[in-house]
Amino acid sequence: MRELTCILCPSGCQLQISKSNGEWTVNGNLCPRGEVYAVDEMINPKRIVCSTIKTIYPAVPRLPVKTSQKIPKEDIFPVMKVINQVRLDHPVRRGEVIVAKVLGTGADIVATADLYYLLEEEGING
Amino acid sequence: MSKLSRIKKKMTRLFGTAIECREWRSSIVLEGIVNSWEQVVAAGNLAAGKGYKGVVNRIEVKGLPTERIRKPDWRDHHLNQRRVDVLVIGGGIIGSAIIRELAKWELSVLLVDKEGDLAMHTSSRNDGMIHPGLLPKPGSRKAYFNVRGNELYSRVTKELNVDFTRPGSFILYDQWAMKLLYPLIKLRARRNKVKDLRLIGRDELQQLEPGLAPEIRGALYIPSAGVLSPYKMTIAYAENAVANGAEVSLNTMVEAMEKKGDEITAVKTNRGKVFPRIIINAAGVFSDVIADLAGDQFFTIHPRKGEIILLDRKKGELIKAIYSRPEFNRIKGSSKGGGIIKTIEGNVLIGPDAYEQPYREDFTTNRENILALLERFLPIFPELSAKDVITYFSGIRAATYEEDFIIEKSEYVQNLIHAAGIQSPGLASAPAIAEEIEKLTLELLSGQKRVKARVGWNPVRKAIPELSKMGARSRGELIRKKPAYGEIVCRCEEISRGEVIDALQSPIPATTLDAIKRRVRAGMGRCQGEFCTPLLIKIMEEEGFDIMEITKKGNNSYLLLEETKG
Amino acid sequence: MRAIKAYDTIVIGGGPAGLAAALSAFEAGAETLMIEREKRLGGILKQCIHDGFGIIRFNQALTGPEYAGWYIEMVKKRGIPLLTKTFVTEIEQRGDGFRLSLVNSSEGLYQVISKSIVLANGCRERTARQIFIHGSRPAGVYTAGTAQYLVNILGYLPTKRCVILGSGDIGLIMARRLTLEGAKVVGVYEAKATPSGLERNIVQCLDDYDIPLKLSHTITRIIGEDRVEAVEVSRVDQTMSPLKGTEQVIECDGVILSVGLIPENELAESLGVRIDPRSGGPYVDQSFMTGIPGVFSCGNALTVSDLVDYVSETGKYAGASAASFVKDLPAQELIPIEKNEADFLYLIPQCFNINAVEQRLILYFRSRENRENVQVKVLADHQVIYQQRYQKLIPPEMKRIEIDSCPKPLNGIRDLRVEMEEGAKCES
Repeated sequence: MRELTCILCPSGCQLQISKSNGEWTVNGNLCPRGEVYAVDEMINPKRIVCSTIKTIYPAVPRLPVKTSQKIPKEDIFPVMKVINQVRLDHPVRRGEVIVAKVLGTGADIVATADLYYLLEEEGING
Repeated sequence: MSKLSRIKKKMTRLFGTAIECREWRSSIVLEGIVNSWEQVVAAGNLAAGKGYKGVVNRIEVKGLPTERIRKPDWRDHHLNQRRVDVLVIGGGIIGSAIIRELAKWELSVLLVDKEGDLAMHTSSRNDGMIHPGLLPKPGSRKAYFNVRGNELYSRVTKELNVDFTRPGSFILYDQWAMKLLYPLIKLRARRNKVKDLRLIGRDELQQLEPGLAPEIRGALYIPSAGVLSPYKMTIAYAENAVANGAEVSLNTMVEAMEKKGDEITAVKTNRGKVFPRIIINAAGVFSDVIADLAGDQFFTIHPRKGEIILLDRKKGELIKAIYSRPEFNRIKGSSKGGGIIKTIEGNVLIGPDAYEQPYREDFTTNRENILALLERFLPIFPELSAKDVITYFSGIRAATYEEDFIIEKSEYVQNLIHAAGIQSPGLASAPAIAEEIEKLTLELLSGQKRVKARVGWNPVRKAIPELSKMGARSRGELIRKKPAYGEIVCRCEEISRGEVIDALQSPIPATTLDAIKRRVRAGMGRCQGEFCTPLLIKIMEEEGFDIMEITKKGNNSYLLLEETKG
Repeated sequence: MRAIKAYDTIVIGGGPAGLAAALSAFEAGAETLMIEREKRLGGILKQCIHDGFGIIRFNQALTGPEYAGWYIEMVKKRGIPLLTKTFVTEIEQRGDGFRLSLVNSSEGLYQVISKSIVLANGCRERTARQIFIHGSRPAGVYTAGTAQYLVNILGYLPTKRCVILGSGDIGLIMARRLTLEGAKVVGVYEAKATPSGLERNIVQCLDDYDIPLKLSHTITRIIGEDRVEAVEVSRVDQTMSPLKGTEQVIECDGVILSVGLIPENELAESLGVRIDPRSGGPYVDQSFMTGIPGVFSCGNALTVSDLVDYVSETGKYAGASAASFVKDLPAQELIPIEKNEADFLYLIPQCFNINAVEQRLILYFRSRENRENVQVKVLADHQVIYQQRYQKLIPPEMKRIEIDSCPKPLNGIRDLRVEMEEGAKCES
């Protein structure tokens, strides 16, 4: 049996997970999402990666981004490398895809803020 | 028995054969190796006041690492071969006040300081009190310059546009001892020419200051005591000097002096060689080092640190003036051991304490000392609490063993003047010391050239406007002229972007974050710069600084280490 | 002479609390003005680029800018009057309302008046000095929030090898952020015996990146003249005093502090609003009105929340209450909400207006200590009107209770109390 803390919400449930006859059993979860999380965590732990990308606008030098879905933990740093190489030279809307299907993970890198709005607040017309 | 053998005998009794004493010119020199810094200071004190001009204490401590002096980390030829009439070494309150007074005359005046800004040592690390002059020993230089300096501040602060008030000093007592001591105090006040002091009873005191602890029986009130911002005062002095033709060269460290006979011919710095007619030593805790470079070290500075606590401006409403509470059982005379002060900005300040340490630039603070200060002073105003603390820091007094100012022409070097050993009440004395040094300088120069009054000398300095203190109309007018004055970047102290830009473009421009802070207080409030630091960095970048080169206080104190995704 | 503009409700602060307050005040029909001192709306969420926001409000884990973005768009869509880059220098109570002095670049210093105001000023971070760290004062000591701004907004690393002091959530989040951007986080040191931040952040920010968490440790000295060169850390005893002989020097070029947040209530205090020393914010009733009629408080200025969802919620109700304050309501009559101080770190609201028309009561609280299997009961005139069992209560986790239907009307009650009982005493 293994113990882990669910990270899906602030409740932070203490989960116990064990395997018998190829079946996973999860205890301690307050909601069904905890069960899925625990099993994922045992087989293929995944995370959302949040970071920023560099823009060409001095007033807004960085734009926040995230992966559109969870990616395997071991892909975090390779994906960061891709994110670090992007140079954004045009305004984007919140949710707009900046890198599609990054490193074959199936996740896109999407903007989490509206660069049009940020530039407008800086008095710059995108 | 001669005075030397009397001192020797005492030294042997206390330190065995570890310390050797000898006479040099009219001073006494101590040499040897002991086990602790306390012993070094004890030996120096033992030799003081025995009829010598000064105590030169070269005793070392076994195993004590030598201090790594903070130096500018680069060299250039900025000052190369410069000939000036007067070179002032040290950009604290004393040096700055001196160049301001000298700028009245048709002279080329250059001030150098090894730090990246003025007032980097004691002049930005004290309580800002303008002492009334009661405490110095009657007849001492401290007593004279303090009382005269205090008086001069009314005029000087007006001319230089620096906020100054005289809330008065209250020496609190909770014992009847004060009533017994009062005649003696009055006598001292008369001898020092301190005016208008009186005793205040409990009722009047409680009325003046309702927040005081009820057990306090009364106070000795001295109305002439004042407060100001010591670093703003220093910068104001220097700015006015610069406006009248003086020059300030920062990051400039004096490394050596060339002499011909009993005259200094050249002063070597990391920014080139200077050829001055007159050299003024106003080097604070390093004034003995400068004296030594000139071959005239007849005194030694033993650094005496004081730690100071600042409380939130919110609590400033609780107190109005300057309060101290002497502890009668351990009066020693060298320092009255701090108090509670309402600063000119409205914060409550506690401290400083006083203790000896071997290092001249060790500005660390210590848990025990800060807690002891709080324990000692918070009870005076029961509504103050440790939760109100926003910051604390320390300063180092440039104490000599004679414990008096050295303000004189060198006896052995023809073109050197000392303004050395200036410790408390140095800030209060500064205007008077500057006046005296001005006189001495003119005397020395009189043999060499005719000195005329500067045509167009302007004693008045325009300060950076403090918008938060202005009325709606004048503030609005300024904002119309310069919209950046309407953009608040430091929320705690309500400082605008425009004021920060002014600091970056002032006559002695701020080049670091701390220098901005000293000029316009951005980052000095209760959040201690957590919100405005990034904004200040951005403003500095927009004003032409390379963002990676921006520092907190010069040299390697970089704020940012690497660009992400670079 | 300019005519002074008058509003029903002015919301001060354009972060998550203020945005929600302005929206609800506006929707309730009040003539609303929102004032923000920065260029951009969103408050601290602008720099909180990590995900995990809005699980309650939006039922999904959004990033800070996404969460704020939703509200900003709503405010813009509704056309709610808004002043950015505008600073409130003073509020004066006068007659039936408030006069605010504002300063900005376009108008200078001028005044507006309002019948009610909502204070949504957020919070600030405790500094190194406030927790009595000693030693020298080199560059390289930053609060986590400042470091977050430098990294996420400006795009610069303020440290390449750091020690983090304090296990507050922003500190944990910054441990991960700095690691992702290429810096080395040597460890997180926490003076308390238990972490201050949420368990999930310890897992996903520290454990995922093998960053050690050292409990019962603190920084006793900062070493370095120009830039941080090292720190001295020590073990601490139960009273958090450093233990002599346990000192250890760790080389690093930066110290990041996450040692607590302080609600910003300088404007509230200047108005004479009474502050609860335990929650750090004003005493309020169930409508989030402070002791001064017409002055409302919400978000992190009211108390520091661990969830933005609760920040928005208090903003929403404070805004709506401020809007209805404009109408003629029965005079406020307050009774304290009684609780055992040993059980609760704090409870909000602290008092209850028995003349309120609104029947909804939302309570937020933190337990003083770690508790297991606890029953929390709300009693009105000694009758239980709500109870809830908690498997676990820990101080870092704020709990919320909502009572929207009640066996008896709450107005007119004489006694309201909240009790905490060990679960063992209840039926299994």
